[in-house]
Amino acid sequence: MKIPRKKFQATVPSVAMGDIAFNLLIFFVILARAQDDSHIKWEPASTPKVEQVKSIGVSVVVDIDSKLYLNGQEIGESQLSGAIEKLLGNAPAGKRSVLLKVHRNTTALRFEPVIEAVSQAGGDLVHILEEKTVQPKK
Amino acid sequence: MKLRRNNNFLIEPASAATGDIAFNLIVFFLVCASTQPDSGRKQILPRSENQQKQTEQTENLEVSIDRNSVSVNTEKIPLTDFPSRIKRKLQGKAKPEDRIVVVKSTKDVPYHHWIAITGAIEEGGGVITLQLEEERNIQVP
Repeated sequence: MKIPRKKFQATVPSVAMGDIAFNLLIFFVILARAQDDSHIKWEPASTPKVEQVKSIGVSVVVDIDSKLYLNGQEIGESQLSGAIEKLLGNAPAGKRSVLLKVHRNTTALRFEPVIEAVSQAGGDLVHILEEKTVQPKK
Repeated sequence: MKLRRNNNFLIEPASAATGDIAFNLIVFFLVCASTQPDSGRKQILPRSENQQKQTEQTENLEVSIDRNSVSVNTEKIPLTDFPSRIKRKLQGKAKPEDRIVVVKSTKDVPYHHWIAITGAIEEGGGVITLQLEEERNIQVP
């Protein structure tokens, strides 16, 4: 009787592929996080009426410590207008939205020059706020 | 010669797919997180170059905001009455240049208070213009 020789299969291990993809993804997520403003601490002011707004290119944040950020990067007040103008470029009206996220207790001394800078750059100002929920009277 | 049958099969779940499942789950949650819309309010402000000309043409309403109070043309108004009062003052003004409201704030006004007041002005049909304090360099001899 002839015993057939056992054949060994030489395959590329595919188990690691998922892990490689996972690590790549984490790498790109961390890169992207450095550019957005989700790591900045601020609390929105509340208002009774809000509308949904889509986030387009430009966002300006004044955080809890009154520091100013443009698209997640800290920036000086004097440079803000020029930087926004550069980012908006020749975008047509309606696509020049600038999202303004100001911490609720920031004083006018800090936020008014920021609003002025957005206005000077020709941006359409959008205040990011949270909806005030009115509790019914008992 | 007696051959031994190999009955010891190794039963193991297919682990090759778990990585892919994890990957797809992450992509799914990332897409969900990135499309979450913000909520807020649009505010139309005249560009600062034109502001001076517009305010000179007609006599506009002037709203002064302090830390805890508000006044219209120097008349102090309770915060609860402000929305109705400003609406009444803007009634009958059809031209946009007549509806301009000059907003002056003291430097200690918090943002949430400012948003409430300017929101009421816009609700009433007003067009907001900010009047900022000019910076002055004073040289001490």
